[in-house]
Amino acid sequence: MRLNDTTRSYFEKLATISSPEDAARYNSLLDPKTAPAAERYLAEHDPSRYSMLRTSIVPTMLKAGIGPNVIPSEAEATIDIRALPDENVPQFFAEMTKKIGDPAIKIAPLPIAHPPSPPSSVNTEMYRILEQVSKKMYPGVTVLPTMTTGSSDKAQLRAKGMLSYGIGPYASEADTAQYGAHGDVERLLESSLYNFVEFDWNVVTEVAAKK
Amino acid sequence: MRLLGFLLLSAGALAAQPKSPQTKAIDWGQQQAEILRHFRALVQIDTTNPPGNETKAVDYLKKVLEDEGIPTQTFALDPNRTNLVARLKGNGSKKPLLIMAHTDTVGVQREKWPVDPFGAVLKDGYVWGRGTTDDKDKLVAVLMSMLLIKRSGAVLDRDLIFLAESGEEADPTGVGIRFMVDKHFDQIDAEFALSEGPGATIENGRVATVQITTTEKIPRRVRLVANGTSGHGSIPRLDDAVTHLSGAVERVGTWQTPMRLNDTTRTYFEKLATISSPEKAARYNDLLNPQRTAAAQRYLAEFEPIHNSMLRTSVVPTMLKAGIGPNVIPSEAEASIDIRTLPDEDIPQFMAQMTKIIADPAVKIEPLYATRPAAPPSRLDTEMYHALEHAANRVYPGSTTLPTMLTASTDMAQLRAKGIQSYGIGPALSSDDFANHAWHSDVERIPEASLYKFVEFTWNAVNEIAVKK
Repeated sequence: MRLNDTTRSYFEKLATISSPEDAARYNSLLDPKTAPAAERYLAEHDPSRYSMLRTSIVPTMLKAGIGPNVIPSEAEATIDIRALPDENVPQFFAEMTKKIGDPAIKIAPLPIAHPPSPPSSVNTEMYRILEQVSKKMYPGVTVLPTMTTGSSDKAQLRAKGMLSYGIGPYASEADTAQYGAHGDVERLLESSLYNFVEFDWNVVTEVAAKK
Repeated sequence: MRLLGFLLLSAGALAAQPKSPQTKAIDWGQQQAEILRHFRALVQIDTTNPPGNETKAVDYLKKVLEDEGIPTQTFALDPNRTNLVARLKGNGSKKPLLIMAHTDTVGVQREKWPVDPFGAVLKDGYVWGRGTTDDKDKLVAVLMSMLLIKRSGAVLDRDLIFLAESGEEADPTGVGIRFMVDKHFDQIDAEFALSEGPGATIENGRVATVQITTTEKIPRRVRLVANGTSGHGSIPRLDDAVTHLSGAVERVGTWQTPMRLNDTTRTYFEKLATISSPEKAARYNDLLNPQRTAAAQRYLAEFEPIHNSMLRTSVVPTMLKAGIGPNVIPSEAEASIDIRTLPDEDIPQFMAQMTKIIADPAVKIEPLYATRPAAPPSRLDTEMYHALEHAANRVYPGSTTLPTMLTASTDMAQLRAKGIQSYGIGPALSSDDFANHAWHSDVERIPEASLYKFVEFTWNAVNEIAVKK
């Protein structure tokens, strides 16, 4: 586990608006003595936040075999690795090789889909408008800057110097966990879709329309 | 070349041995042209399965047998996939002997063949082509045995039944042995059967061992299926199906199932020890020594995998399938596991043990369709087994006869399950030919001299057991 400035302030800020139980857990992530128990809980019950704590390694595909009675000469697995922004990739692969501990297995890195890029600043007109619109539309809400564990095409834009922000519709914890992106039962609450269109329109109008 | 020289020598030695009258009547050198003619004709008939088209080979056999005055009958569930039965009547004092071979072959990847796989090309002392060792060599051996015994005019103590069967290599629709056993068993019921086995081994230019299969392992394939929550590849899940499946595959793949010998395999290793180098002999004998067996088993697992497979039920992962995209956690992952059990394995108990080894409720074991029935080994103390030993001593002097358990499976499984004492035999091959040119390979071939000797061996065993003394 390794936090950076963004994820540390994310969990700190999140703790201030969470139930006492959750808040205690988020705060305990900041203390090496109490962190392991909190990490275990997140691994099981909140995998998305768990993935914000570390470079994640997720096997997603297996391929081997030409027939049920033939031992094939090759077998392969696809592993989806999402590195923390500061990960030393060559050193990470060296550690993974040690962990595999089997010279019969080779790690073959795939082409890198997204370039590394610096975070977009929160001290911009765009970010302030996103905050204002959020508070206007969803009174009492807390706005959190965050690091996505996935990746998006904004990586290419940020690498070209564009300040880029990711937004989306609201969803319950259960919907995020069970019905989220790439699952077999992807879905969106209808009212959330309408509100999100309104949110988008508000932000775009505020930042682009002549005052 | 070396082999040819030896075989000529042994043919000379043969004449000096005491024989039944029929044996003296056969000049094996004179038979070679006819053996080769039938063999090449059958290899040149493409019976790759699928689709099979075994009827084309049956048409050829039918003509050869009927030209000789041997009546035939055909049985077909599918008109393109006929089985042929021919019977030489005996005096009924003993129960029949069934001699059988399959007419189909596995397919070919033509671009990988150095010669036409259906050319039956003669090159370097070999006949090359698909089916030359599986199973048209046995087909010709049993065909020639029928023809030669018919020509001899000998009185038979028992009916001699010839079966050319379809669909041995793969038979999802049951056109071959299953059809014959289920619908026409009265046509092939017998006390003994001879069919395909790995055959004899050539070492340093001479036939060292003659292997007779008396039993075989039973295929009991399963699928392992893991289920978990699907989702985004950037978010690890403790119930990830791919990870759970991979763990289960590792555990069953490295599972050392218990060693257990039966009469056949015990005799095999004991006799093998008597003709092996001191080092190897010690290892085979160590298998039965509780203090040393672990080291001997480890050695065999690494350096003699087929011997390791004769010691135990084997569990071999062969296929893995999971995933719909590199950044998607799939909800299901599956593996195919090729399990070959010992003939006496208690299957439900074995599956219960495997469940314990997997130790993961997220992974289910799904047994696949059982293609072969379980059956006890055929005995080593029968008239047939003794006749095979005698034939080996006559045709391959100085060889050791080894009863053995096939790790693969054949259509004898269905015969043994019906109570027929069944034995698998085959021609003599060098270790190089076994390793690189045998069944199912892209360079399948048989030494021409081995083919002739195998016909002679088969005829000897059949003659001894069927002809009235």
